[in-house]
Amino acid sequence: MNQTVMIVDDSLFMRNILRGIVQEKGYVVVAEAASGIEAMKNLHTHKPDLILLDIVLPDSNDLELLESIVAARPQAAVVLCSAIGQEDVIRKALDIGAKAFLQKPFNPEKVIQVLENLGG
Amino acid sequence: MDMSQYRDLFVSEARGHLNAFNELIVRLEGSDGDKATINELFRHAHSLKGMAATMGYDPVAALAHAMEGQLSRVRSEECPFVPALADLLLESADNLGEMISQVESGSETIREAAELVERLASFNPDEVKSEPDAQEPDPVRTSQPQAPAHNFRQSDTFKSIRIRTETLDHLVNITGELITNRYHLVDCVSQYGGNDFDEPIHRLTGLLRELRDEVFKARMLPFAFIAERFPRLVRDLARKQGKEISFHLDGRNIELDRAILEEITEPLVHVLRNAVDHGMEPPDRRVAAGKPLNGDIRLSVTRDKDHVDIVIEDDGCGMDPERIKSKAVEKGIINGEQAAAMTPQEALMLVCAPGLSTAESVSDVSGRGVGMDAVRTAVHSLGGVLTIQSEIGRGSRFIMRLPITVSIINALMVKSGNFEIAFPVNSIRRTLELKPAEIIEEAGQQAVLIDESYVPLRSLARLLGHPPQPASDETLIPVVICESGGSLVAFAADRLRGQQEIFVRPLGPPLSQLRGINGATVTGDGRVVFVVDTAALA
Repeated sequence: MNQTVMIVDDSLFMRNILRGIVQEKGYVVVAEAASGIEAMKNLHTHKPDLILLDIVLPDSNDLELLESIVAARPQAAVVLCSAIGQEDVIRKALDIGAKAFLQKPFNPEKVIQVLENLGG
Repeated sequence: MDMSQYRDLFVSEARGHLNAFNELIVRLEGSDGDKATINELFRHAHSLKGMAATMGYDPVAALAHAMEGQLSRVRSEECPFVPALADLLLESADNLGEMISQVESGSETIREAAELVERLASFNPDEVKSEPDAQEPDPVRTSQPQAPAHNFRQSDTFKSIRIRTETLDHLVNITGELITNRYHLVDCVSQYGGNDFDEPIHRLTGLLRELRDEVFKARMLPFAFIAERFPRLVRDLARKQGKEISFHLDGRNIELDRAILEEITEPLVHVLRNAVDHGMEPPDRRVAAGKPLNGDIRLSVTRDKDHVDIVIEDDGCGMDPERIKSKAVEKGIINGEQAAAMTPQEALMLVCAPGLSTAESVSDVSGRGVGMDAVRTAVHSLGGVLTIQSEIGRGSRFIMRLPITVSIINALMVKSGNFEIAFPVNSIRRTLELKPAEIIEEAGQQAVLIDESYVPLRSLARLLGHPPQPASDETLIPVVICESGGSLVAFAADRLRGQQEIFVRPLGPPLSQLRGINGATVTGDGRVVFVVDTAALA
């Protein structure tokens, strides 16, 4: 069965691009969210297998949202997306339970590579 | 992957970031630089950089990166936010705006801003400060032929504009006329024939529908627009009377036509006021009745297809239909016989009868009499329906069912004698055809049996003041069944001509005084057809 994905990013532009990339590879985008609140709501209704999460959102600070997501749905694989390349943020995120890190700007190959590595 | 499909979205979102960026810089200058604003500025530059890099617009990404870098230094207090930096950031934002315009116009290359990037990277607040005379024009700025800030293109900043309401009203009128004209055109074509017209008329119909929807959309405002003052109103009234009331407001984002909001504001205030004044018991009486000390008043708006329901409910003392009836008999509004025949639902609607009561005389009964006739009139004149529900000791509920827009409505065109009148489809429950034998005569009143209940039958011919056509036993009588104040009423007609979209115009005096008529429309072939107010006819 195809894996289901939720995309969390406050930019519609980014969400559209990510959607285009993952759909082409057969993932099913079941939900999108532009804010932390929306993300949590969709998490409960759509129960995605994979979550692409932008850590810079207007209504959430640092890694709070990641913590809530991991607590609410530990079986989902969270891939953190952001242009912030700071090592300590990545390390913290991985400690909390993020499965991978995707650094912006990304091209389609990079996104798919990260997602496919998750499966392995 | 073809990235060009995301270009328009990039342009519009990038412009959004730039607008916000400009606004924040100006705010920051005034407020002496608070941390939250700096963070927000940083976030906009950062998002723009990420988007541009993803699209491969390197010059945009490079400039946004330089801005982000400088803001990062401000954030960590390495560098103060001095006016010269504000200038530089605004100049950069303008430059980004130009780059985005180049993207939008589909140009292959984007002009780089290496010099600006360099100036941002090497910005030193102390150098600027140590300049002897700040009044002197900045040498770098004067080397530019013109300040780009005043060179923006229209599309850069004017995403939304203010429009006078008269202009919008005028647009609705023109749209209404166009719709009327289309009917006329269709009539002509069907008369003179010609298949060649089918396609253009089909397209015209689609375009008109689109035009109508867009024009109406432009007139919509969220309910919050009028509801913002209600919580305060309820609170102040409750205070004055020593009552404890929690006010709840649901559905504030539901949109309605501006004209409807305008007309419904006073009636809503009125019903809310009554709910506090008369619906809600004083705290000691609530406690004595075993209810929570704190009363609830809830105003909720919900949308259902092409109408909205505005519901005001309280958990107060409710209204007693029997006492309302006896009050009405006492006042000579109805006689005892009528009172006996009334359902509780109909009795409650008596509070809307003009002259039923004044607040002083019945505040012990229900006190809903004041001005409720004005409330009902307002709801009806908008093509809506008012329903009242109440349970003694438990509370009351006032439901206003309103159309979302006025002016252009779906109507059933009905013929009676030489008259044609229009019934708003909103107010029709169903239509059917009756055999004369199915009409029940009782005490001079006609009625029909529908779903096992008696529904009064009114002859449109009689209401319109012309002699009813003698019907043979064989002819079927078309009947329109409408809902009015919670009960049904049937209207007998000669012919139902079908449904049509009509443009309703309000009537001026003296026609506006006519009872039972809400407005008029001009048909495609130029006849005037009145739009009935079914509640008033019932």
